[in-house]
Amino acid sequence: MEPGETYWDIVWRQFRRNRFAYTSLWSLLPVVTVAIFAPLLCSNVPLVFRTPDGTFFPWLRGLFHPEEPVDFVFNMALLGFPLWLPSVLVRRPAWKRRGLTSRVQVLHGVFGYVVITLALTAVFAVPSLRPNNRFRASNFPAEEFASPETKHGTYVLIPFGPFEQDVKSRYEKPFYRKPQSGWEDSNDGVIHPLGTDDSGRDVMTRMIYGTRLAITVGFVAVSIYLTIGCLVGALAGYFGGWVDILISRVIEIVMLFPSFFLILTLVALMGPNIYIIMGVIGVTSWPSMARLIRGEVLKQRAADYVSAAQALGFSHARIIFRHLLPNSLTPALVAAPFGIAGAIITEAGLSLLGFGVRPPAPTWGSLLQLAHGNYSYWWLVVFPSLAIFFTVTIFNLIGGGLRDAMDPRLRATE
Amino acid sequence: MWTYILRRLLMMIPTLFGVTIVSFGIMKLAPGDPLLLQLSSSGMAGQSGQTREAFLVQKRDLKLDKPVLVNFRYFTDYRDELRLCAHYASLSLDDVRKEVAQLSAPDIDATLRPRRDFLRHEFRRQLGIKDFDQRLQNPEQQDGVARAILVLTQLYFEDVGANAVPSAMELLDTADETPDGMRLKVGLVRLLNGMVTDPFRYTYSNPPTDAETPQIVATWSIWWSRDQAQFPPIDPDRLEILRKNFADMVAEPSKEKLFEILEAFDRDDMRFFAERLLGPEPNAKTPSLQERFIASLTLSAYVSKPLKVDVAVDATAEEIDQVAANWKSHYDSNKARYQIPLPNKLGRIVTDTQYAHTVWRLVTFNFGRSALRTREPVSEKIWDAVKVSAPLMLLAELLIYGISVPIGVVCAVRRGRVADRLITLSLFMLYSIPSFVAGMLMLLFLCYGDYLKLFPTMGLHASNADSLAFGQWLLDYLWHATLPVVCLSLFSLAAMSMQSRASMLDVLGQDYIRTARAKGLSERVVVFKHALRNSLIPVITLFSNFLPALLGGSVLIEYLFNIPGMGRLSWASIEQKDYPTMMALIYIDAIVVMLSILATDLLYVVADPRISYSGRGEG
Repeated sequence: MEPGETYWDIVWRQFRRNRFAYTSLWSLLPVVTVAIFAPLLCSNVPLVFRTPDGTFFPWLRGLFHPEEPVDFVFNMALLGFPLWLPSVLVRRPAWKRRGLTSRVQVLHGVFGYVVITLALTAVFAVPSLRPNNRFRASNFPAEEFASPETKHGTYVLIPFGPFEQDVKSRYEKPFYRKPQSGWEDSNDGVIHPLGTDDSGRDVMTRMIYGTRLAITVGFVAVSIYLTIGCLVGALAGYFGGWVDILISRVIEIVMLFPSFFLILTLVALMGPNIYIIMGVIGVTSWPSMARLIRGEVLKQRAADYVSAAQALGFSHARIIFRHLLPNSLTPALVAAPFGIAGAIITEAGLSLLGFGVRPPAPTWGSLLQLAHGNYSYWWLVVFPSLAIFFTVTIFNLIGGGLRDAMDPRLRATE
Repeated sequence: MWTYILRRLLMMIPTLFGVTIVSFGIMKLAPGDPLLLQLSSSGMAGQSGQTREAFLVQKRDLKLDKPVLVNFRYFTDYRDELRLCAHYASLSLDDVRKEVAQLSAPDIDATLRPRRDFLRHEFRRQLGIKDFDQRLQNPEQQDGVARAILVLTQLYFEDVGANAVPSAMELLDTADETPDGMRLKVGLVRLLNGMVTDPFRYTYSNPPTDAETPQIVATWSIWWSRDQAQFPPIDPDRLEILRKNFADMVAEPSKEKLFEILEAFDRDDMRFFAERLLGPEPNAKTPSLQERFIASLTLSAYVSKPLKVDVAVDATAEEIDQVAANWKSHYDSNKARYQIPLPNKLGRIVTDTQYAHTVWRLVTFNFGRSALRTREPVSEKIWDAVKVSAPLMLLAELLIYGISVPIGVVCAVRRGRVADRLITLSLFMLYSIPSFVAGMLMLLFLCYGDYLKLFPTMGLHASNADSLAFGQWLLDYLWHATLPVVCLSLFSLAAMSMQSRASMLDVLGQDYIRTARAKGLSERVVVFKHALRNSLIPVITLFSNFLPALLGGSVLIEYLFNIPGMGRLSWASIEQKDYPTMMALIYIDAIVVMLSILATDLLYVVADPRISYSGRGEG
C-alpha cells in the first residue's frame, strides 16, 4: 500500500490487474453506446427529408415521440450527448489541475451525463415542450423518393424501425433483400443484415433496440432491490433485537419461495409489462441483498466510529445513512453486477415463456420465443443468444473482478 | 442433535405461517369476479348462465365469497339491505331504467334517498366506480347503470350466502298480501336463489351415503304431503309387478339395466316409490340405503324437480305463495344449518374467512381441485408431475456433484497451469450461459433442422415406449433425457466447480497441509485424505441453493423440451389461470426449500465433526 492511497484506489488497482474484468469494463462502453445511439444506427425515418415545400428533419422530431417510454429516456441521452461532450472537454483542465485521477474524472463525467439525461427527460416529458411530429405514423412510400428533384431524403445506416412491419417479407434469412418488384416503401431496397422476424421486422434493429430494454431492466431492477435491501438490512442490523428477529424472519420467508416461479406468477397476475417486470424482480430479490447488508452493518456497528457518533448524540437516521451504510455497501456493490446479469436472464426467460414485455416491444427474449415455434429460423436463436451471452458475461466478469479486488485475502497472496 | 432437529422443526411453524400469508397474498392478486370486471370496464354485463354457475361453484369452493380476515356476517342483520335489494330484484330491466331516471333527479323523496346512498356505496366498493352520481346524470350511461344495479344487488347476496337466509325468512313471514308485500316476496325469493344453490336435494350422489338421507327424505316428504292427493292408490296386481321390479333394481347395480327397468314405469306408480322412500307404513322396517337410492332416482326421473324455488318478475300471486312456502319448508327442515349457536358463531368470526380456509387447506395439504374444466385433484396433478421431473433432477444433481468436485480438485492442485486456466475460463463461460439459451442452441444444432439430428426434439419417451422391454426403455429414456439434464446442470455445475476450486485452494494453503507434506505423506494422501474433506464444507452450503434453483430453472427447460414435469405444470397453471394449482405449487416449493436448508445444516455435521449442534443454545 502506497502512502495516501484510499481504499478505492487499492480496489481499482487490483481490479485493473484482472485482465478479463478490466476488458469487460471497457466492453461495457460499446454496449451502452449502442443502446444510446440506437436511433443513429437504425431508424425508419429519414434524417433529412427535402420536398419542394422545404426541408424537414423527421428523425430529430421522431426522437421526442418514441413508442416506448424507455426509448424516450435513451433518446434524451442521445440528445444530451452533444451538450455533454463539450462540457467535459471544458472542465477537464480544471479537473487535472485539481489532481483528480483518471478514475475520478470518468466518474465525474458519467455523473454529469446522467444528470443531463435526466434533466432533458424531465423537461421534454411535458408534451407541449416537445416538437410536434407530423411524420410519425407514415412510412415514406418509394415514389416519394423516386426523383431527386422533388422529394428525397437521407436515411441512417440501417433504415428500419424496431416496430416497422412488412408482412411481405416475414421470416427472411440474414442478408435478405426484397426483390425490386416488391418495393413499396423507400427503405425496401436495403439488406436486412440479420434477417426478419414473424411480422417482417428487421432483426438487427430489434436486437439493437433490445439492448436498451436489457440494460434498463438490469439496472432498474437491481437499483430497486439494492435500495430495499439496504434499507431493510440496515434497519435489522442497526436496531437488532425484535426488529432484527422480525426482519430476519421475513427475509427467510421470502427466500423460501423459488424466485423465478414467484416472479413468473406475479408477472402473470399483474400483466406483462416491462415496468412490472422490473418492479417484480426488484421486489422479490431484495432479501439476499438485505441479508448481506445486515451482516455487514452488524459487523460495523461494533466499530468505534459508531460509538463515537452515538456519543455525539447523532440521530439514528444520520448514523445509519451517513456513517454505517457507506461503510457497509461493499458486499452489495459486489453483488450488483451479478444481479444485473441475473435480471437480464430473468427478463429473457420471461419473454421466452410469453410472459415478458408486451409483444411488439423489442427484447432479445421475444426473438427467442419466436424461434421456439420453429427451429428452422436459426437466426432468431443464434443472434439473441449471442447478445444475451455477451452481456451476461460482461457483467459477470465485472462482478467477479470486483469481488476479487475487494477480497483482502486474495490481495495478500498476490 | 435430536433436540436441535426438533427445535428447528418447531421454528418452522412461524415460518410456515409466513409462507401461508405470502401464498394467500399472491392469491388475492388474482383478478376478481369476471362479471364485476366486465361491469367496471364497460358498464355492461353479458355472461351466459353456465359460466356464471361454474364461476360461483369455483368461488364457493375456494371460499372466495367469504370476508378476507374477519367474518361478522353471522351477527349482521341483513333486513335493510334485503328490502332494498329485493326491491330491485323484483323489477324488470325497464323498470330499473325508469327508477334510475328518477334517482338522477336532484331532489328525490325519502324512500329513494337510502337506495341511492346504498348504490353509491356499492358501486364504489364492488366496482371501484367513484363517479356514480355523474354516471347517474349522464343519460348515455344510465342504461349501463341500470344493468349494473341488477347485477350488483344479485352479487351482494351471492357473497353473503347462507348468512342472510334467517333475515330473509323473517321478512318473508312478515310480508303481507298487498301488492307491495307481493313484490317484496318476489324479490326475496329471487335473492334467496342466489344465496342458496339447490336448496332441495332430490337424488343421492353416486355412490350414495347415509349422510344425505335426511335432506332427501325431507325434500320428498314436502312434495308428498302436498301432492299426495294426485296419486290414487295402486291396485294389488300392479303392486306385485312393482315390488318385483323394485327388488330387481335394488339388486342390479348396472346402469343400463337400471334405466331399462326405469322406462317401464308410469307416473301413477309414483305412490309406490314415494312410500318406499319415505317408509309410510308404521311398524314396517325402515328402508335400506340402496332402496332409498333407487326410489329417489325413480321419483326424480318421473317427477322432475317438483318444488319450484324461483319465480319470474311477473309471477301470479299463487305461484309466489307456493314458492315462498317451498322456501319456508326448506328453512324449517334445515334449521341446524341456519341457526347456529352463539359459541360457534363467535368461533366463526376468525375461522370462517378466506384466510382461515386457505391456511387450513394448506396445512392439511388439501389443495382441492384444479380450476380447469377437468376439475382434477391438484395433488394428483402435482404427483404426476413430480414423478416426471424428480428423476431428471436427480440425474442432474448426480452429474453436478459427480463432475464439479473432481474438477475443483484438479484445478486447485494444478493451480496456475494451462489446464487450470483453460478449465476456469470455460467454467466462466458456462456460468454466463443461461440454461434456456444453452437449451435452445442445443435444440437448434443437435435436434432440429439441417444440422446434426442426434437427439429427439421433445418429450421423455419415444411414442412406442410402452411396448419396449425394460433395458430398451431405460436407454430410450436416457437418450431423451440427456439434453434436458445437461441444460439443468450447466449453471450449477460451473458455479459448484468454481466454489470447490476456491475452497480447495483455501484448504491447501493452510498450515496443517504443510505439516502433512512435511511429514512426508504422498501428495495423493494429502489431497484426498486431508484436504478434500475440509474443502467440501463450503460446497455443501450450495446444496440448499441448488435444489430450489433446479425447481425454478426447470420451468424454462421443461418448456423448451416439452417435458410434463413440475416446471411445465407451473407454467401451464399460470398460463391457464389455475389458481389452486398455482398456490399449491408455490407452497410446496417453499416447504421443499425449507426442508433442504435443514438437510444442509445436518449435512455439515456429517462432513465436519468440529461442528455440533448439541451444545447450541446453552452457550
